[in-house]
Amino acid sequence: MTKRLRYLWVLLLLSSLPGLTPSAFAHHSFAMYANEKQIKFTGKVSRFDWTNPHVYIEMDGKDAKGVSKHWTVECANISILGRLGWTFNMIKVGDEITVIVAPLHSGQPGALLKQVTLPDGRKMGNGNPAGPPDPALAGGNQP
Amino acid sequence: MKTLFTATNTHIVALAGSLLVLAACHDQGKPIATPEAAASAAKGIDGKWFAYPGQVDPLERTIDPPQPIGDPPLKPEYLGPWKELRAKLADADKRGEPIASGYTHCLPDGMPAMMMGMFPMEVLESNGQVTIIQEAYQQIRRIYLNDKIPAWQDAEPRFWGHSAGHWEGDTLVTETVGIKENILFRNVPHSAAMHIDERIHLIDKDHMVDEVTVTDPDYLTTPWQWTWMYARRPDYKMYEYVCENNREFADPDTGAARLKLFGPESK
Repeated sequence: MTKRLRYLWVLLLLSSLPGLTPSAFAHHSFAMYANEKQIKFTGKVSRFDWTNPHVYIEMDGKDAKGVSKHWTVECANISILGRLGWTFNMIKVGDEITVIVAPLHSGQPGALLKQVTLPDGRKMGNGNPAGPPDPALAGGNQP
Repeated sequence: MKTLFTATNTHIVALAGSLLVLAACHDQGKPIATPEAAASAAKGIDGKWFAYPGQVDPLERTIDPPQPIGDPPLKPEYLGPWKELRAKLADADKRGEPIASGYTHCLPDGMPAMMMGMFPMEVLESNGQVTIIQEAYQQIRRIYLNDKIPAWQDAEPRFWGHSAGHWEGDTLVTETVGIKENILFRNVPHSAAMHIDERIHLIDKDHMVDEVTVTDPDYLTTPWQWTWMYARRPDYKMYEYVCENNREFADPDTGAARLKLFGPESK
């Protein structure tokens, strides 16, 4: 078995075992979010909690029809984001940001962050357990 | 028994050596340095470690990772229910209704799960003790060198139990008992008599392994063994972790994990 094949085999084994899927390596399972129904919207930040076990962005986002709606956007945690280059003061109340998120299956206005675009144009991901943004929304293979 | 006998001999030799050096240092008014401290500093497990190859913080694969952990060798009366639970949890995840876990309530991993916790780990070798800190939940485990663990019947149940260790060459050999029966690794049930043996050592200067063996006369038919691997990150500074803003809760009716929402639409 070549090294590459063995690697793929190990990946397959890992993904078939409960407790080893990425969702298990978060404070709670991210299965409550509809990963396949990602959406993108822009809005103003009303609160930014740089906290554990998760970081949260509260924001008022506008949908495609321009209707405003309040969202709770769940991010990874301080250390995962810190290792990705996030800082505690990276997002401020009043900031206009664009997010790509996976909304709750329940239909409630909560979502898991996939990517945020900051006022200065920087795009930041939400770490490996949360997973990448939908390339169709991110316009390419973004973090 | 052979292992115990060897450990006891090592213990006696090390203790005698300690007393000699302690006396010598004391006489000269110098800082006390025991043989254990001097020896352990040379073993090289001290430092900051990332899980390898890593799920939360994936690392470039430079060496082959260990084999995946196999199913626990549970007695038949426990294996069936364990598999049923595994299927139930997978099904709940698939439906988008994940069942709440200890994490939902901000409970730490405990042993042995903390040795492959979510985040990086710090190993501190100091006088007579190896201390292991897992960044997630700021879990701390103390392994007392050349000490004895209590009999399991006398061990106060704890999240991280009671650990003692000694050096066999460059390998830190540890024993742990006294894990709370509600602290489960991979949802595998265990008794108060569960015993965890570990052999922690470097495989090269930047990679370390923890070879784990779990025995439990009440639940397991044979020892359950696996190996965890870590990569050294000397420049890493550990983050603090306090579960201060836990917005998750378990649905009282279904047990599913839920998220508290603070927006006006959620009221």
